[in-house]
Amino acid sequence: MSGTSPLDPAPSFHSLTPRKTEEEEEEELEETPQEKKLRLAKLYLEQLRQQEEEKAEAREFEEDQVAGRLKEDVLEQRGRLQKSVAKEIQAPAPTDIRVLRGHQLSITCLVITPDDLAIFSAAKDCTIIKWSVETGRKLRVIPRAKKGTQGQPSGHSSHILCMAISSDGKYLASGDRSKLILIWEAQSCQHLYTFTGHRDAVSGLAFRRGTHQLYSTSHDRSVKVWNAAENSYVETLFGHQDAVAALDALSRECCVTAGGRDGTVRVWKIPEESQLVFYGHQGSIDCIHLINEEHMVSGADDGSVALWGLSKKRPLALQREAHGLHGEPGLEQPYWVSSVAALLNTDLVATGSHNACVRLWQCGEGFRQLDPLCDIPLVGFINSLKFSSAGDFLVAGVGQEHRLGRWWRIKEARNSVCIIPLRRAPAAPVAGS
Amino acid sequence: MRKMQKAGARAKAQGSHGAVQSGSMAGDQQKGEGLGLAGAHRIPLQERKATERRSSKAADTSDMSFEELLELQSRGGPKACKQLAGRSAPKQSPRQPVCVADKHRPLEMSAKVRVPFLRQVVPISKKVARDPRFDDLSGEYNPEIFDKTYQFLNDIRAKEKVLVKKQLKKRRSGEEREKLQQLLRRMEQQETAQQERKQQQEQRLALKQERRALAQQGHRPYFLKKSEQRQLALAEKFKELKRSKKLESFLSRKRRRNAGKDRKHLPLSN
Repeated sequence: MSGTSPLDPAPSFHSLTPRKTEEEEEEELEETPQEKKLRLAKLYLEQLRQQEEEKAEAREFEEDQVAGRLKEDVLEQRGRLQKSVAKEIQAPAPTDIRVLRGHQLSITCLVITPDDLAIFSAAKDCTIIKWSVETGRKLRVIPRAKKGTQGQPSGHSSHILCMAISSDGKYLASGDRSKLILIWEAQSCQHLYTFTGHRDAVSGLAFRRGTHQLYSTSHDRSVKVWNAAENSYVETLFGHQDAVAALDALSRECCVTAGGRDGTVRVWKIPEESQLVFYGHQGSIDCIHLINEEHMVSGADDGSVALWGLSKKRPLALQREAHGLHGEPGLEQPYWVSSVAALLNTDLVATGSHNACVRLWQCGEGFRQLDPLCDIPLVGFINSLKFSSAGDFLVAGVGQEHRLGRWWRIKEARNSVCIIPLRRAPAAPVAGS
Repeated sequence: MRKMQKAGARAKAQGSHGAVQSGSMAGDQQKGEGLGLAGAHRIPLQERKATERRSSKAADTSDMSFEELLELQSRGGPKACKQLAGRSAPKQSPRQPVCVADKHRPLEMSAKVRVPFLRQVVPISKKVARDPRFDDLSGEYNPEIFDKTYQFLNDIRAKEKVLVKKQLKKRRSGEEREKLQQLLRRMEQQETAQQERKQQQEQRLALKQERRALAQQGHRPYFLKKSEQRQLALAEKFKELKRSKKLESFLSRKRRRNAGKDRKHLPLSN
């Protein structure tokens, strides 16, 4: 009998079984960004679960930990995790500020290693120095390379405009005015790779957190994506209409750029190959820093500091003349804001200019307000500011000249790296009668 | 340093999406037709959309007819199934028209379009050249109004005429004198033409007023025929010539011209 058993699929459906293997192959087919996110999220959840199970704790306690961590991560991803830290910050005494001197010319940029143990600083003398935070001594010096040396340069031969360090502390990237990006091994300061491809000075670098993906931008108006571990170039993105001044990135596959004279701040969504355009500054936007995944702070050369959110094209908060005015009466000009920094996932923002102070600000509710907190006296051009990952100290790169040019020269300033400790006052007791 | 192939060749995915769309003639209503649903089997649109939303990523084969399944197979691939059953809203293209409610959102654009090197920093408006003769903004030409408003030009013309005459007196011979004479003649002719125009306008006005008076009295308005108008004009001309005693010369010239013209119409005598 040629009767079909009930288990056999009906003849009209039998040719559909090959679809199952096709579904398996689906994973090898190109995925959309949403599917990729879903897959990565699942992987991450698995990893978290495994980590918690390894600990010898009570099951309930473990689950609480996982839930707590997941909650924090979700809030962090959505940009809503905000610890109110600014109120507790106390202005440090001037004697507590440690000054590390060693560079001969003005410091242009600096980065802190993720474990808060070392600081890399670069200056106009084309050298990179690795400092120890505890002792304040130089751990390593990458000297200047002579122009026109054969083979791979093991140093920079022009002003280093930007630096970035990966979140695992493995790779250090530095970009200079001669269109090169040099990748170093952070621990030993060995030169690993050189990325060429930019057609003008490299002005911004950032690693994506948790990966070795490097984003770079340059005065040639493009944003390039590289992979430092695999020594490869990924893609280029266009959109800016003038030289880009700065770049920053967090753990999303997104980066944000400050457009300089373009007058725009752009958020680049790399998997979707699209950009969001924000505008609101009047001067040239010189510096930008991400506060969390959804908010950023930028500074311009008309003295204004702005807080941005991803859902509004205009700034959420704008503070004009953040560092005051200078010049002859009647011809007053605002102090240029040369650097901004924000403590990750908190409401503390620091801005630097050349009016002899570093100003700390508190972001109001929902980042809709920017209130000044206190001033830290520091003479010179504050060319770079960075908070440590734990929020213990703030590092300022100080120079006699602005990092991009020589419009002014402050003779009283010292080219140095200043470590400013941030002490947190314990919660004040409720005022009684 | 090697260039990495980006994970996610979006072009391919878009291509397949587009192919399915074109095959089923984009649009939900036409989708049903494109899938070859027989008339009797046609599921109402709302129900169909609801089932699509409820189904999982994998194709919900229980709802589909045999024809639909065949179509699926011919199209092939899990992508086709997903298009049909899974997603109700297609992936938003970065170039979406901005609706009024979203005007506060940042502008989203493609990041792959190269920007031209030069950009417009200051908005420059091109100067539009207007010819007042042919421009609608200048309005229609009304000779009466025109003459009234530009009366002051007559004085200027008179002054210029005096100047030209003076110049003529200075130059007694040569090319310049001829040019000046031509200029003077031109000016005089323009003047006479203007006078004629004025006279005609006056005549027309007089006629109009007559007609109006008659109409007020109760008579019907009478409009002159073209031949009558010509006769009137001729009569006026004769009067004028008689007054200036040029009638004889005018008439003789007219006779000579007419004779010449008549000779043309005579049969050719060899």
